[in-house]
Amino acid sequence: MSLTQSIGIHVEGVHFGYPARPVLRGVDLTVRPGELTALIGLNGCGKSTLLRLAAGLLRPNRGRVLLGGEDLARLSRRATAARVALLHQSAPAVPGMTVRHLVRQGRYAARGPLGMLREGDDPVVHRALRDVGVEHWADRDVDALSGGERQRVRLAMALAQDTRVLLLDEPTTYLDLHHQLDVLRTVVRLREERGLTVVMVLHDLAHAARFAERIVALREGLVVADGAPKEVVTPGLLADVLKVAGRVGTDPEGGWPVCYPDHPLHALENENQFH
Amino acid sequence: MNRRFVGLAALAVVCAGVELVAGRGMSPSAVWDVLGGGGEVTERHILLQLRLPRMLVALGAGASLAVAGLVLQSALRNPLAGPEVTGVTPGAVLGAVTATALGLAGWDSPLAVVLAACTGGCVGALLLWLLAGRTGADPAQTAVHGVLVSAVLGGLTAMVLLVEPGELGSVVQWLVGTTEGRVWEHWHLLWPWALLWGTAVWLLAGPLTLLRCGDDIALAAGLSAGRARTLALLCAVALTAGAVAAVGALGFVGLLVPHLALAVFGADLRTSLPGAALLGAVVVCGADAVAQLSSRILAETLDAGRLTVPVGALTACLGAALLLVVVRRSPSHTF
Repeated sequence: MSLTQSIGIHVEGVHFGYPARPVLRGVDLTVRPGELTALIGLNGCGKSTLLRLAAGLLRPNRGRVLLGGEDLARLSRRATAARVALLHQSAPAVPGMTVRHLVRQGRYAARGPLGMLREGDDPVVHRALRDVGVEHWADRDVDALSGGERQRVRLAMALAQDTRVLLLDEPTTYLDLHHQLDVLRTVVRLREERGLTVVMVLHDLAHAARFAERIVALREGLVVADGAPKEVVTPGLLADVLKVAGRVGTDPEGGWPVCYPDHPLHALENENQFH
Repeated sequence: MNRRFVGLAALAVVCAGVELVAGRGMSPSAVWDVLGGGGEVTERHILLQLRLPRMLVALGAGASLAVAGLVLQSALRNPLAGPEVTGVTPGAVLGAVTATALGLAGWDSPLAVVLAACTGGCVGALLLWLLAGRTGADPAQTAVHGVLVSAVLGGLTAMVLLVEPGELGSVVQWLVGTTEGRVWEHWHLLWPWALLWGTAVWLLAGPLTLLRCGDDIALAAGLSAGRARTLALLCAVALTAGAVAAVGALGFVGLLVPHLALAVFGADLRTSLPGAALLGAVVVCGADAVAQLSSRILAETLDAGRLTVPVGALTACLGAALLLVVVRRSPSHTF
């Protein structure tokens, strides 16, 4: 699996929403093959929706989404899932299911309904279990695991889809700092090893600035900032996109931007900041 | 896992054996004689024309109901779903009773009963779907809606029975569920139907496992969740209708046997679906054997020759107790 096999994502003029509530209002975005992109923005700015559109789980009202040059609208659900995996923010409990069995469900797109009936050694499942370091307790019940362990298992399920594109919707929510870094480090490592194209929605700007090559900021359904962390992460971005006042410094060793958020901005204050 | 299957199969054989000797008027040695090829003409008739088909129908109906229940619970992601509480069974009963009352179906046209039960079951499921919505987000809410639908359908059945009571003496037993008087015609109709839809369910084991993980995960993994759910529900309705047409509304088998099956065989539907079929067969056949034994004892103690306990009454009592256990340990957390 070399970098040449990586595929990119093109979002072209995408509108999405409901008559009374537009969510995305004309988004253009090109994610280059093998790039690690972070999507940031306030709750309800449309970042999760954009991720779901890129995974083919939603269809745009206008515009189109291309994956490696293929229009998602022309692909079946199964064909789409063979090209792009999405890790949801949360998932319901599945009573009685073991780790191995859940991760195995990630093979559905590749094997199909009848293929899933076959027993059989699936090297991709083994690799996915190894990738996130859960092979030692693969026969435990998923519901008996801690939140951090469960998130790793769900990441393994997404990896078992063996796709070139990996989309993560707030993969670190509900996790403590140790497990947040654990999940993010795993993603960064796999992306380097396999040339995965990764887009993740992150709430923590510090993580985005540390791990992403590129940050895309959304506000009210539009892309308002796009670039490398060093260019994009500024006090202006904090105020404009995240509605907080704060300062931005530089990590003394790594050189990446570090945020020092201070207090939430209210509408009037926000106006003053820019005029 | 294989040991559990073997153990359960042995239990099924024991239940079937008890069922054969449990009835009145025949000693176990006479049964043995007949099975060995001997015996009197009357005894041969009782065993081969009455008891054997009755036993097979009990096994087949139990298996159908249990599999239908497991499919419903998986497809709807609801531990409280079952043919009895999602309107499928009451709908099937209403369909069968109405068709018989209108003269469209009856003892001479058993296939028509199955088809009528199927239509009724679909109507019941559709009513619940309209009430609870496609997603059926909250299990308890869906269960409440299911009870509502079931009550309405049960009321309609009662109305049909009141308006058209003459023809329907034998139909009343559908309401409780009984294997009394089931003969080879019932078995010949039940087994191909159950086998057909059972096979269809088996082919859906993969999608059903994904549906158990929730729609978000299923869709992301590449399953067209809506289509898979519709197909699964169709299979569940058909299996239920087949069982209802054969033995009537056996209470709680479809709701509770799936829980036992998942506890014994795990969440992998490739093993728990056949497991549920075997367990359902054991439960209904065993309950029928117990019902016959208790009828016999009751008849002897009360000196009432014609007293019979329908198997449905037994499964309903047993099931109600087990349902309490299930409700108390239903999981609710997310991750």
